[in-house]
Amino acid sequence: MKFKINRDHFANGLAQVLNVVGSKATMPILSNVLIEAEKDQISLTTTNLDLGIRCKIKAEVKEAGTVTLPVKRLASIVRELPNTDVTVDAAPNHQVKLSSGGSTFRIMGIGKEEFPPLPEFGDEKAFTLEQSELAAMLRSVSYAESQDETRYILNGVYFNFKDGKFSLVATDGRRLALMSKEMDVPAESSGSIILPAKTVSELSRLLDKGEKVKINFNERRCAFQIASNKDSSGLIDSIYLYSKVVEGNYPNYNQVIPKETHQRIKLERQLLLDCVHRAALVCSEKANQVKLKLTSNLLEITAQSPDFGEAHESMAVNYSGPDLQVAFNPTFIMDPLKALTKDEIFFEVKDEISPGVFKTLDSFVCVIMPVRLT
Amino acid sequence: MPSIRILPDRVANQIAAGEVVERPQAVIKELVENALDAGATRVEVEFSHGGRSMMRVEDNGCGMSREDALLCLERHATSKIIEADDLNRLGSYGFRGEALPSIASVSRFTLQTRPQGSESGTEVLVNGGRLLHVRDCGRPVGTRIEVAQLFHPVPARRKFLKTDQTEAAHIVQCVRLYALACPGVSFTLIEDGRVLFRSPECPRLLDRVGEIFGRHFTADLVPIEVREGDMVLRGLIGKPVAARPTRHEMISFINGRPVDSRTVNYAIVESYHEYIAKGRYPMAFLFLEIDPAAVDVNVHPAKREVRFRSEPQVRSFIIRAILQRLRELGQAASPLLGAQTEPARQAEAGGVQPPGSAPVAGGAAEAAGPGGQAQGMQPAPAATVSALDAAGRVIKVPAFSAGLEAAAADRLPGAGVSSATPQQPIPSPRQAAPVLTAWRFIGLAQGSLALFEAPGGLVVLDRRSALERIWYERLLAQHGTGALAVQRLLLPSTLELDPVASALVKDRLGFVQAHGFELVEFGRNFFRIEAVPDWMEPGDAVDFIRELAGALRDGRFQGRDERVWHEEYARLASAKAVRLSQRAGEAEMLGLLRDLFLTRAPLTSPQGRATYFELSQGELARRLQI
Ligand SMILES: Nc1ncnc2c1ncn2[C@@H]1O[C@H](COP(=O)(O)OP(=O)(O)OP(=O)(O)O)[C@@H](O)[C@H]1O
Ligand SMILES: [Mg+2]
Repeated sequence: MKFKINRDHFANGLAQVLNVVGSKATMPILSNVLIEAEKDQISLTTTNLDLGIRCKIKAEVKEAGTVTLPVKRLASIVRELPNTDVTVDAAPNHQVKLSSGGSTFRIMGIGKEEFPPLPEFGDEKAFTLEQSELAAMLRSVSYAESQDETRYILNGVYFNFKDGKFSLVATDGRRLALMSKEMDVPAESSGSIILPAKTVSELSRLLDKGEKVKINFNERRCAFQIASNKDSSGLIDSIYLYSKVVEGNYPNYNQVIPKETHQRIKLERQLLLDCVHRAALVCSEKANQVKLKLTSNLLEITAQSPDFGEAHESMAVNYSGPDLQVAFNPTFIMDPLKALTKDEIFFEVKDEISPGVFKTLDSFVCVIMPVRLT
Repeated sequence: MPSIRILPDRVANQIAAGEVVERPQAVIKELVENALDAGATRVEVEFSHGGRSMMRVEDNGCGMSREDALLCLERHATSKIIEADDLNRLGSYGFRGEALPSIASVSRFTLQTRPQGSESGTEVLVNGGRLLHVRDCGRPVGTRIEVAQLFHPVPARRKFLKTDQTEAAHIVQCVRLYALACPGVSFTLIEDGRVLFRSPECPRLLDRVGEIFGRHFTADLVPIEVREGDMVLRGLIGKPVAARPTRHEMISFINGRPVDSRTVNYAIVESYHEYIAKGRYPMAFLFLEIDPAAVDVNVHPAKREVRFRSEPQVRSFIIRAILQRLRELGQAASPLLGAQTEPARQAEAGGVQPPGSAPVAGGAAEAAGPGGQAQGMQPAPAATVSALDAAGRVIKVPAFSAGLEAAAADRLPGAGVSSATPQQPIPSPRQAAPVLTAWRFIGLAQGSLALFEAPGGLVVLDRRSALERIWYERLLAQHGTGALAVQRLLLPSTLELDPVASALVKDRLGFVQAHGFELVEFGRNFFRIEAVPDWMEPGDAVDFIRELAGALRDGRFQGRDERVWHEEYARLASAKAVRLSQRAGEAEMLGLLRDLFLTRAPLTSPQGRATYFELSQGELARRLQI
């Protein structure tokens, strides 16, 4: 195998696949990247068996072939090479010679035989979405995933294609975020998956490289083909992301979203975020909640921690309902506010034990459960 | 029927010997006590065949004149008390005047003794209570008593003796106790011609403990000295991390007398209750000094038991004294850390010190009273980090335990001891956080461990145990203030319990709710968890309620003492509150240490596991031979 490649293209390609390495010391090959050279491109593949990524970069292939190399080390070498022209030359014994300007590296590789291939599949459900839209939707919900590994069902984002709607949901049992969009969903294609958190973060990182992203899935696995036509640094075709899905039944989220609206206030997103953020500066692990107090046209936000002090913020709002007060974990308020982009949001409350609900004019809902102080 | 006769003394003595001299060890005990009562500074004990064939105790005490040497073998001959009331002022081990005649009546008994100022000594030989001869003998000032062929006049008694090994073990333990009781007396113990131990006069109890139990023991002991009214508790107590699997290292003395007092033992164990796990025992070498009139030593023929006039008073004094010390230890926590500790404990120290005594702990500048005599008043030498020298300058006390103990020993006996204020509970410390400026976080290891470099060496912290301790106290405190944040759940968890557990949980629903759970029964033995304490991961709630039900079933929430319940709850809950970050930065880890050292018992987790250990520079140098 032998090819010539632009250093920055090569580095960019490696950066796409870099994060996916196996943690299992029993399979050293999983910390390698599979490099396959053919025609006028090389493809780079990494996998940890649950998740795999492949991208293609243009290259001047002199001699087709394959090899695998430790991906982290390779990426840091390529980034530092002195010259933009890089030549890669693999001997049959998998020793790779990497040269650029006056630098030459010899790196020991492993043959491709041991490298587990990424599964490809054909007869699954398939949808095509806008990358920018999927990215925004993921951002609006993914913070609500559960971090608690014992609740693996909740360690991810729920993708639901059903009844003319595409919805993304995440919840940790105390809050839930839902973003949906109208979409044509043929009955035979309707279905859902739970995408693992790690895949969600890789997918979010890879999106916005081009216009479309195609998703294929069945009940055990899924794949994303992410067009890379907007990326000018050597990527060609699309990036292929393969992932297992979390198997299990996602909780019935519709049931926990309040149907009725009691008090609704319109808020300026950034302003509310700033106030809550400031108030939360006095919070501690021991006292991690902010109190919202609504009175006529006034929203007051207070926080206090016994060993530090207290904070008081107030903002004018349009409100004429009864006085009410409710406390929340400040993170639960700030997370959706940070993730959204709309300037205007709606917040619905009822009393100190009922959930608070954030909404936007597009179909975003975030339900957060209050903290009760005894 | 034969007529009533007064028993000849010899027979009476043999009967009394049945009580006083149960076994060879009892002979040794009586003879050693006599030697100590005679003011000896050197005691040598020898025995062979478990004491069965020969026992010898030799001392350099005051000795006896020929007249006394004969008199001491008479029943109720004692130089130690004159009238019954003297029993209440007892300052000696002996008081009955029974020991020697009893022993002499059941053995072949040779007494050689010479008092100060006399040219020659006296030798008295008695066999089975019959005087065989009295004659002059040459010997240095002091007394030597040899007891051979124990029980040969009463062969029945011989049958009750255990194996030589067992009898020897009792003798050894007995001599150890007296050696501990009197560190200032040199002791030698010889078994079958072989020296078992030889301990010179020791300046401090700690040295004696080292001589007897081994040097490695001493690093885990800290001095204690607390006075309250006319009671004084002094000696050494073990750090909670050095808890032992048996009670063997829990030794107490009352007015210098080794005794097995249930009251004292109970108080010691109770003091450590929060610090060490069930089934493990603290080390303690404690001397309780108390008005002799307040103890009755004359309740057991071998004086093994004592009775206090006021048991509760003694018990609560001991518990308060030890707890106070343990808390101080907690704050000083680490000698390593100590090297960096701020005037941390002043507030607390102020609360328990007698007025007029200057606090010294680190608060050097303010405490710089005239001269350095204040050092003696410091209740917790181990907590003392910098002390004052005679000129009032701050001097560094060596950071590690050895040095700290040395500092403790420098204290003059009787120089102001701290006094625990009676009645008042020890004020809970609200001390300043320790300064950890010169500390460096090295990294995480083995999942739960965190490694630090401190000014005095290396510290290995078990993050899980540390967090459990922090959370345990946080949860307890939270309950005290009633400020509890309850996170309502969007997705309630459901839980099915077996009928017994279900009934137990329903019984205690109020308790469970008071700790932040909303449990709703929605069918036979089915519960829905609708809210959890805000620190708890909702996913942990089901397991936790099950564990709680298990603890209920084990009867761990049975007593009437609510405090015990809350502790039990906090112990269970703290294990659930711990979340270990996979990556941790220096600031976070130093913060964890700081939080740990602010707890009352930073040395151990609520389960009694150690939270950290230290490798001092000295230790590192020794191990690496640098
Ligand atoms: N080693 C010794 N050196 C000097 N005097 C001794 C020694 N042993 C015994 N005596 C004297 O002999 C007396 C009798 O001793 P003995 O042990 O029989 O009685 P006690 O010590 O007075 O009381 P108890 O029976 O409670 O031990 C003592 O009171 C003491 O005066
Ligand atoms: Mg005696």
